[in-house]
Amino acid sequence: MRSSLLRRLFPGWLLGMFTAALLAGVFGALLLSGLIFDTSASSQHSKTFAWAIHLTMIHSVRERAGRQERPDAARHASLLNGAAAYARDCVACHGGPGAARAPWVSAMLPTPPYLLDSSSRWSRAELYRLVHDGVKMSGMPAWGEIEPDQTISDIVSFVQQMPKLSPTEFARLRQQARPATPDSPTAIGAQEPSTFSSASSPS
Amino acid sequence: MARSRNAFRVEDADRRRTGVPDCRAIRLALAVCVAAIGLAGCQRSAAADRIGDPRAGAIAIDRMACGSCHRIPGIEEADGSVGPPLAHFASRQMIAGVLANSPQALVRYLEAPQEVVAGNVMPNEGLGDRQARDIAAYLYTLR
Ligand code: HEC
Ligand code: HEC
Repeated sequence: MRSSLLRRLFPGWLLGMFTAALLAGVFGALLLSGLIFDTSASSQHSKTFAWAIHLTMIHSVRERAGRQERPDAARHASLLNGAAAYARDCVACHGGPGAARAPWVSAMLPTPPYLLDSSSRWSRAELYRLVHDGVKMSGMPAWGEIEPDQTISDIVSFVQQMPKLSPTEFARLRQQARPATPDSPTAIGAQEPSTFSSASSPS
Repeated sequence: MARSRNAFRVEDADRRRTGVPDCRAIRLALAVCVAAIGLAGCQRSAAADRIGDPRAGAIAIDRMACGSCHRIPGIEEADGSVGPPLAHFASRQMIAGVLANSPQALVRYLEAPQEVVAGNVMPNEGLGDRQARDIAAYLYTLR
């Protein structure tokens, strides 16, 4: 009699749910206690975890980028403006053609990638979304918080053109992008790199 | 216990009678194969180990973001399409089409890619000698 009552109170699925909740609780407690997840950046992610968070990031960006149309703004002035902003904000973490990243960046996890083929990985809208809103828990800042939208758009234009730059042209742009000092008044756009002249013609 | 042993013996006898080949021969052949593969594996890693530590090399490749420009087997997210894929690097004849492939040449290339190929977009990462050797060791595990 007793056992049949028990059987009615605890049908299989209820017991299953209870076990699942218990396991989830134990897992959560282990996670929060820091016992089963190592947050130190000196140890690599497990392959599965790295794959999972990277895929989530890609899908999240794709999902949120689609709606707004961002016209291609590869105008000459915006490319030079973008180059200056890239040299100021991005080159330390992402490097450039022939230019290494800052040495401390290899100690980051995830480590910021070189962006030379990012125009083949991401659409313009996706790049805009990435640069404007950053990537949580990775060290990629949300540049839209501190830069005007026009600058973000210019940076994206520059990133899209970057694979066409030779290391020499990139180095020259960085040189020009340095803030002008009284004894070296190099203004941005003083010297126009050939690559940008061709990119500026409307196509 | 005794019964089961008996049962096996009967089975063996049955097999012999029915002409099914004794699986001991097959087992022996398998063991020889496994040993050969194992030996080959040892030889391979021994060659790579002489240059550096391939496991440390894999981590250095990851941290240096080589994979954002190169496709590199065995490295997570190494799917870059800027430079050539580095699969089968151990059987490559030339490095960047300029240097004959050897451990010394590879280390030299990794330490100063722009000195070997002028105008190379591959950056000089300021790798230490140790790091360059470990990375080279990893690349030579890619047969
Ligand atoms: C403090 C370092 C840091 C700075 C500065 C930085 N980023 Fe990033 N960025 C990252 C990291 C880390 C990632 C990797 C995010 C990931 O994979 O989840 C990233 C990812 C990206 C990506 C996606 C790359 C890909 O294909 O996965 C783009 C595009 C990008 N950054 C553009 C920029 C631009 C443009 C700037 C300058 C305005 C910039 N970043 C400045 C750290 C940085
Ligand atoms: C900015 C992009 C970029 C990065 C980052 C980069 N490489 Fe390269 N790499 C290239 C390009 C482009 C070439 C082709 C150069 C040539 O053939 O002249 C190349 C060539 C090579 C070669 C010769 C390949 C061959 O087929 O002959 C090796 C080996 C190599 N890279 C290893 C590495 C390693 C290891 C790293 C990380 C420490 C790395 N690369 C980082 C762009 C890059």
